[in-house]
Amino acid sequence: MGTIAAGIRNFGCGILTAAVLAGAAHAQEKVAQLPIRTDGPKSLDPVQGSTTYDNMACAQIFETLLVNQYADPMKFEPLLLAELPERLDDGKRFRFKLKQGVKFHDNPCFPNGEGREVTTDDVFYSLKRLADDQYEFENWWLLKDTIVGLNEFKENANDGEPSTPADYSMPVEGFKKISDHEFEIELVAPVTRFEWVLTMFQTSVVPREAVEHYGEDFFRNPVGTGPFMLESWTPKKDMTVVRNPHYHEVYYPERNAWEREDRRAGLHRAAGERVPFLDKIEFTMFPQDQPMWLQFAAGNIGYTQVPDEYFPQAFDKRTKELLPEMAAKGVRGHANKLLDFIFRGFNMEDELVGGYTPEKKALRQAISLAVDLNEFNETFYSGLNVVYDGPIPPGLDGYPEGGRAPKAYQGPNLDLARRKLAEAGYPNGEGLPPITYYSNRGGNAPEQTELLERQLSRIGVRLDVQLVDFSVVIDTVNKKNAPMFSFAWSSDYPDGENNLALFYGPNESPGSNHYNYKRDEYDRMYEQILTMPAGSERTEIMVKMRDMLLEDMPYIGSMARERHYTINPWLLNCKPTERYYGWFKFLDVDDSKR
Amino acid sequence: MWAYLVRRLLYYIPLYLCILLVLMLLLRIDVDSAVAAQLGKNATPEQIELKKQSMGLDQPFYRQYASFLGDVFTLSFDQRSWEQELPVGEMIRKAVPPTLMITIPSLVFTAIISIVVGLVCSFNRGRFLDRWLMIIAVLGMSVSYLVYIIIGQYFGAFVLGQRMGITPFEIEGYEAVFPPIEGSEGPVWVPWNWVEYCALPVIIGVVVAMGYDTRFYRAVMVEECARDYITTATAKGATSKKIMFVHMLKNAMIPIVTRVMISLPFLIAGSILVEMYFSIPGMGRTMINAIVGRDFPVVQATVSVFAAFVIVTVILTDVCYALVDPRVRLS
Repeated sequence: MGTIAAGIRNFGCGILTAAVLAGAAHAQEKVAQLPIRTDGPKSLDPVQGSTTYDNMACAQIFETLLVNQYADPMKFEPLLLAELPERLDDGKRFRFKLKQGVKFHDNPCFPNGEGREVTTDDVFYSLKRLADDQYEFENWWLLKDTIVGLNEFKENANDGEPSTPADYSMPVEGFKKISDHEFEIELVAPVTRFEWVLTMFQTSVVPREAVEHYGEDFFRNPVGTGPFMLESWTPKKDMTVVRNPHYHEVYYPERNAWEREDRRAGLHRAAGERVPFLDKIEFTMFPQDQPMWLQFAAGNIGYTQVPDEYFPQAFDKRTKELLPEMAAKGVRGHANKLLDFIFRGFNMEDELVGGYTPEKKALRQAISLAVDLNEFNETFYSGLNVVYDGPIPPGLDGYPEGGRAPKAYQGPNLDLARRKLAEAGYPNGEGLPPITYYSNRGGNAPEQTELLERQLSRIGVRLDVQLVDFSVVIDTVNKKNAPMFSFAWSSDYPDGENNLALFYGPNESPGSNHYNYKRDEYDRMYEQILTMPAGSERTEIMVKMRDMLLEDMPYIGSMARERHYTINPWLLNCKPTERYYGWFKFLDVDDSKR
Repeated sequence: MWAYLVRRLLYYIPLYLCILLVLMLLLRIDVDSAVAAQLGKNATPEQIELKKQSMGLDQPFYRQYASFLGDVFTLSFDQRSWEQELPVGEMIRKAVPPTLMITIPSLVFTAIISIVVGLVCSFNRGRFLDRWLMIIAVLGMSVSYLVYIIIGQYFGAFVLGQRMGITPFEIEGYEAVFPPIEGSEGPVWVPWNWVEYCALPVIIGVVVAMGYDTRFYRAVMVEECARDYITTATAKGATSKKIMFVHMLKNAMIPIVTRVMISLPFLIAGSILVEMYFSIPGMGRTMINAIVGRDFPVVQATVSVFAAFVIVTVILTDVCYALVDPRVRLS
């Protein structure tokens, strides 16, 4: 980088020798330059974070009790724990054993500046922070109605003044300390997702001393147990983290944990070695795609998410294989299916499009049959999305094989759509008033809406389009005033239950059931899977729920994005995933390949 | 002159207060959704209300306005950004230097080159050189700024480096041109940081602005060419160079000063596109991020600083008129 400029500078300063020596020292230090798409995190305090980019930054510095597995992120494993939590009382109680000898980063907030060992009290304190009104409620939903006594703690420990911290001395009934390294948590009801919640970065363990020492500046002076410590952070520009010299023992996944394809990519080569490998990671924020892509192409950053418009420069659009010229440079490609549920919903309480009678169902089915999601995919997503039936995204239990359910009203099937429309009492759309459709006005939503209008017009269905700010869409949907609307959902954790919860009656608007879908049978099944351990029995029920939704059709869908990555040859052990971001500790660099 | 300055300043105070009033009213049209956007998708109406209280947005409007005026007139932008949680004053202080590293050279180079080209064109008006330079200028201004940035970044930084092995410019990024260096008193000038990170955006800025400016200065100079004093100077045997750079330039200073002065406030505002594409952490980027993120404290502070700059510039322009043209009296 900057060869001429750097050369003249060194010459001008007359410190060539020093520069060479410095270069040699630099060569011994393993440094990776990585991108953060968009302008990066807004806070480095996990309890205040919510975006992918907050997650990416916080996960280097802080750690959770459990963590997704690098080789298979759909599974989790202990991180700050010595072993997986023990399920007691059919999952109503969990017993945890903390790993011995895990220390917080050295920091001036501790006596003598030396990080102390993580204890049970730190875990309880960190979980209580989610209930502290001071942190703007952003992540309270993760633990709301989950742990015995935590709702009461939130109510009583906060004095109603958001600027003052909660009273952390107040106990939480469900927190039972056995020793400094052992504790139990009692849940209000057995909830399968609880363990997944403990993998989420917002539940990371933080030391109370640091939060109190830095006060409202803790978000930029983070102190955790993670593999890296913050060296510098210029918001919206860059962030550098350096290796934590006292990082506890964590090892690279064993060879047999990797799929054959991963092994072919050499991902197993560091199996069993202690991490982290890197001394420093330099993150750069890229609000624009072109600079990020050019930096990758110039070999200056280790990997990149391939922006849609640059996809043909890296991959064959038809086969989605890496182009030979990229492969010749030693670049590797990697694809990830995201846990997305992109859909257009109906308000089931709406007089025109809602309801459960055969005619009302037929109307929604007709609309769905007229929509060609593949045309949306080709037009707006370069054909990179996955079109599928049901609300459960690819890769999760309950996802139909090949994306196709036995009975679904996936379009385009205009003949059937017209027949269904006639069954609904609107032959060729006659007598059907325009359906009010709410969509965000940002991005390409107006163009997507035009395409939707055109597709529906083929069977005589008209839309009364309302292109408004996203906040207005949410507000209208929350007030049950949007007959039809465009939304998307990204799963919080890899369990189909998270998506099926979107149709659970008690979650009706303003909750996450924006469709206001209410079927007692569905609700009962949902309550059943909520507490069942994963397995074929649970999957069977989820499939039944999915098929019920496909028949009732409270939405038109579905699509999930597929993310493509390219990885430069000098970045080793890299298998990008967006399920979690604690995987940077497994990365390594080979500077000879730069 | 001082009396004039004070009087003009007093005239502008009500205007400034009105600008701030309109700004605050506009921002408060839909406070709830702005607060909800900060709290995330799971915020309940009660939580939004509590958050509004903590931000002081539940106060009567006149109180919020008075409090903001107090901040502006005491120049204490201590309120924290909603998005980044940093004090707004600190954010502005950090964003101004990178912006100035781009905008000042752009303004200076654009003005010098455009004036010279304008002079040459006007002196050769209707001839081959004039026509070609004007065609180039029109072509230049017909292409979008964004196209220049994308192409400039691709060829100027990437292709030059990858295909030709010459990498004077970075693809993106910014390192301080006057960084504080350990062991030295105050910041130290590192000119190569400017070359690596700022020169390409400056070149692009100059190329874009030259089309507009050249045509403007040519029109001004053509008008001057038709004046009697030019005929007199020619009759007296003055050289073309002397006529152009001594007589014409001096007499054309009023429109030149006006053009340069109206550009001054934009030195602070920066260029949103250049800063976004080249990852320069300047004012343009700060402002657009604040507007998109509905970060009221940052929007209010940056707009108030910008408005103040515009007003000061307008007054200074009058002063400059008097300095360059003795016929102008400030009274």
